[in-house]
Amino acid sequence: MFTKKQRRINWILVAVLLVLSIFFLFPVIWMLANSFKPDAAITADMNSIAAFIPPAPSGSFFDNYVSIITNTSFLRYMGNTLLYAAILIVLSIIVNGLAGYALAKIQFPFRDQWLMLIIMLLIVPTETVITIHFLIIAKAGLLNTIVGYILPLIVNPFNIYLFRQVFVSLPDDVYEAAQLDYCGPVKYFFTMVLPMSKTVVATVSVFTFLNVWNDYLWPSLVFTSSDLLTAQIGLNSITSNENTTMGQTLAVITLVTIPVIIIYSLFSKQIVEGVTSTGSKEG
Amino acid sequence: MKRKNSIMGMAFFGPALVLLTLFMFLPMLLTLGFSFTDYFALNPELTHFVGLENYLNIFKDDLFVQSFLNTVKFVIIIVPLQCGGALLLALAINKAAHCKKYFKVAFFVPVVMSLAVVSTLWMQIYSPEGILNTLLAHIGIDTQPFIHSAKQALPSIAIMSVWQGVGYQMIIFLGGLQNINPALYEAAEMDHASAWQKFKDITLPELKPLCIFVFITVTIGAFRMLVQPMVMTGGGPDHSTYTIVYDIYETGTVNWEMGLASTMAIVFTIFVVILTIIQNTLTKDREGRKNVHKKAKTN
Amino acid sequence: MSFIEFKNVCKMYPGSKVNTVDNFNLNIDEKEFIAFVGPSGCGKSTTLRMIAGFEEITGGELYIDGKKVNDVAPRDRGIAMVFQNYALYPHMTVEKNIGYGLKNMKMPAAEIKKKVDWAIHILGLEEYRYRKPKNLSGGQRQRVALGRAIVKNQKLFLMDEPLSNLDAKLRVSMRTEISKLHRELGATTIYVTHDQVEAMTMADRIVIMKDGVIQQVGKPMELYDHPVNQFVAGFIGSPQMNFYDVTVDGTSVKFADGSILTLPDDVAKKLEGGHSGEMTFGIRGEDIKLVDSTEAGKENVQSAVITDTEVMGNENNLYFEFGGSQSVARVSKYELSQIGDRIYFEFVPAKVHFFDKDTGVNYMEQ
Repeated sequence: MFTKKQRRINWILVAVLLVLSIFFLFPVIWMLANSFKPDAAITADMNSIAAFIPPAPSGSFFDNYVSIITNTSFLRYMGNTLLYAAILIVLSIIVNGLAGYALAKIQFPFRDQWLMLIIMLLIVPTETVITIHFLIIAKAGLLNTIVGYILPLIVNPFNIYLFRQVFVSLPDDVYEAAQLDYCGPVKYFFTMVLPMSKTVVATVSVFTFLNVWNDYLWPSLVFTSSDLLTAQIGLNSITSNENTTMGQTLAVITLVTIPVIIIYSLFSKQIVEGVTSTGSKEG
Repeated sequence: MKRKNSIMGMAFFGPALVLLTLFMFLPMLLTLGFSFTDYFALNPELTHFVGLENYLNIFKDDLFVQSFLNTVKFVIIIVPLQCGGALLLALAINKAAHCKKYFKVAFFVPVVMSLAVVSTLWMQIYSPEGILNTLLAHIGIDTQPFIHSAKQALPSIAIMSVWQGVGYQMIIFLGGLQNINPALYEAAEMDHASAWQKFKDITLPELKPLCIFVFITVTIGAFRMLVQPMVMTGGGPDHSTYTIVYDIYETGTVNWEMGLASTMAIVFTIFVVILTIIQNTLTKDREGRKNVHKKAKTN
Repeated sequence: MSFIEFKNVCKMYPGSKVNTVDNFNLNIDEKEFIAFVGPSGCGKSTTLRMIAGFEEITGGELYIDGKKVNDVAPRDRGIAMVFQNYALYPHMTVEKNIGYGLKNMKMPAAEIKKKVDWAIHILGLEEYRYRKPKNLSGGQRQRVALGRAIVKNQKLFLMDEPLSNLDAKLRVSMRTEISKLHRELGATTIYVTHDQVEAMTMADRIVIMKDGVIQQVGKPMELYDHPVNQFVAGFIGSPQMNFYDVTVDGTSVKFADGSILTLPDDVAKKLEGGHSGEMTFGIRGEDIKLVDSTEAGKENVQSAVITDTEVMGNENNLYFEFGGSQSVARVSKYELSQIGDRIYFEFVPAKVHFFDKDTGVNYMEQ
């Protein structure tokens, strides 16, 4: 299949990519390896290849992790974030899904104008309105509450648009058949439309989770100091504490990355498809 | 039947509409309105209409000008590195006959990590006694201050951001490369095209719309730079990593000067909207041409 | 009173200036099997969807079982419907699909099971009970759609081109199956199709539509033998009826190529009432009788050269040029000829039709 020349080029290419990828992974490997070491060992290993090798498993192997879990509320912060993500996934599927369905399938006044408006909202960066969100939530006395955190995040023009694009191609005759089977519009949405559109529901769920899990600015504004912090904010408050060791810092950021890695490996297909489709759709 | 549809439609669209009004339309109108006032959130009774004064003032405000210039610097460093890097990586991985899957994962790993995590990790890496300086010492380079110097902080953060983000655009380009019809290359082979010609005449034109898309999204992304300096340097040293969004955020939510913050937000939004419009016109033009292609084919 | 009664029913879509369905008047009796047939865009599906309640009736009145239903929701009209694309619930098994309506009617589970079992048995779906629609063939899907309709015990079945997505062989067997179901269940059935063969083979009565207007209503053989106009005559029957431009003068019919046909007195009498001059002459392929070459030159014996043949074995079509038009004769296997052969033939006098050149009205059916 390959000529000799092509084969040689291929090996050079693979070699270059291999070296590059190792450089690329250095920070991550270093993070993982040293999250199992006490600070003394981290500094001592710094000068040798040992900096990138985890210590031999021993009784103190998980010390950094154990001290983070027992001495800080980090597990609680992770739990908080999971809870917020779960609530937001459910609410954003219901609110954005219903809106997307209305825009796709129901003839109601000014429908096409609403759709245009939603598409225009896609351009507006969240930074434009985030200070006003803060003002509104503060005036409503909802700072430092879960409701105050969640309320502005439920509706999302992009998700509405995504749902609409998928629902618009659902066959109308299934809705008609369901009508004759005594299934009303609300029941139809929940028992037919959503199950028929599993892929987009999964996509919206995954991206909602990643947004909630990785978001920094909004939770840092709403949650000042309390048990309600999300993992990212908790991470920052723990690592900026003078008493936190370097090993513990690395352990925290490893911990906070684990759920995301799980999500990525479970849904890698949907995510890659989502990523590439944003490119090909816009392009 | 018509009335029933109207009621049902509004019932379905209603919850979203209420939230959109509260958290999109109202904030946008307020931002626009505030930008013509000296609204101070801690003392709202003393608000005056000031016309375009804010718009003139922010460009006289040294801090805003500096944050604006810093943001531009971020854009200038990040955009070519991230777009070019992603394209080169995608081309190389697409061509490589071995370890494709490993390469895709390896370069995508940093994307998975949150900005806060990456920033925290690289604070350790960049620290004066950190691993990077240790490695540099091995090849005879003196200890560098990185994020602790006004000169190096911005490029250091920019490079880290490229490292974090490049995998995302790489995946987009890989998707685009896989979408190119292999028959095009086979036809070119029949026409005795060289490897360079194939790249220049097939790969690049086919990827052009994706390039535009990636270029604009990366530019907008760099424009929105905030979390990295916030976590790593607090905008310093000497405001050398202070960005527009950082300025909006602090002016609005720390100093409560909503009028000024709104003006900055409007200026910022205008930039983003212009970029998006440029992207749309550039890619729409291509769609038009594509349709001509299709017609020619069916004829 | 009839089971279903249309009174001047009209449908006009918003933004349109003409009625898609115009002044539709029809009475349908209980247990009847009615077929709506016509070319695409003739308004047959729109009419069906107005009966179902999926399209608003913009003029006139519609009664089902004595009740005016113009403003009644589809679910309350007592109907079951089979859709062209099956419209099965893709995430439900065959069993769940069929029982879904009953479940929503809050029927006890045991009773649902009994009914679903019955439908599955009657349609021969036992093997597929726990499959989802995507794992079924087209014919099986259509059976599930039928099952979903029959379990609800409704008195009126609506079928919208239910067989159009199936292959030819399956279509034939499903045709008999639907007919059998109709005989067993006795529900009034309205069946929309563009395929005149389906309408002819299944329906008690056929409604032929064109441009939103009923052309003719009648039993299949009535329509075949006594079409009221040229459209019906051309639409029903395969191969299509032969049409010729002719000039009629008393008993003499002159074709465009100069051939002359002399009509028997009884036929000419039927044409009386001032009908003479240019009109369209129609005759079906099987009403062209081949005669022996020795008859050549006799009165009313025509001749032509075969340009093409269509051999199916039991029935065969001979194509030839005659009277200025492409013509077809349907012959038995004993009368087969080769391309290029000359044939001699007569028109069966009792089966000829004369249509008005402008309105298409059949003078013989007045």
